[in-house]
Amino acid sequence: MNDEQMKLQKDIVADGFGLIAAAGYINNEGGQAIADAATELIDDGCQTLLIDLDGTRIINSIGVSILLEIMEKLLEDKGRLAFCNLTPTISKTFEIMGLVQYATIYPDQDEARTALIGAGSD
Amino acid sequence: MEVVLHLPVVPNVELVAAKAVETVGGALGMHQTGIEAASVAIVEACLNAMEHGGGQMVVRMSTDTFDGKPGLVIEVEDQGEGFDPSEAPRNSASRVHGCTSKRGWGLTLIRELMDEVQIRSNPGKTQVRMCKYVENAP
Repeated sequence: MNDEQMKLQKDIVADGFGLIAAAGYINNEGGQAIADAATELIDDGCQTLLIDLDGTRIINSIGVSILLEIMEKLLEDKGRLAFCNLTPTISKTFEIMGLVQYATIYPDQDEARTALIGAGSD
Repeated sequence: MEVVLHLPVVPNVELVAAKAVETVGGALGMHQTGIEAASVAIVEACLNAMEHGGGQMVVRMSTDTFDGKPGLVIEVEDQGEGFDPSEAPRNSASRVHGCTSKRGWGLTLIRELMDEVQIRSNPGKTQVRMCKYVENAP
């Protein structure tokens, strides 16, 4: 549960659709690592980002605050942010901190990909 | 059962407290969701103590009953200047949206994630006492 080191992978999985898989402690360093990956994907033309938090069990408000900044940057660019594989506590934390007002939450990556890629091709 | 940790201010020391919650909560038969909520709460309390406490913090874990319900009790104590808990604002998404600073969520998260929270603060000693009921998995 308390693996400190953030393990992170990013990929462009469809036109304009970037995926970040992040597992580990989302503190200031973990949040910043996700933000850096998101910025690179946005700079590469991704307007839809899916952040998969499978393997992330512990977070803090500083790390989540950095995710809020990503969200606002994407919204400014008319982009979309989504999350999947959240634990109930992370989901509740995102709800309290307002991420769910502007980002979409999916139960798993398959459901997210189907919804986001399908919606993007309309 | 009682656990007492004297934690120095070093990077990620809050995870030591979270690990203790995982161990003690598991021993009490707490549901994983309850353990994770208490873990996030203790992380936030430790971060506040490190930021405002001015030195080593003390974390205590024990059990108690609340209206007949068993609960995990967590206390995080620091030796900072203190603050008036009634003046600490409850943060909200609408307050931080569009603002440069998105900090200040610690006490809000603790109050939302835990079942009972008491804060006592005076110059030289601040104690956050919080409880998560032990609700066994169905």
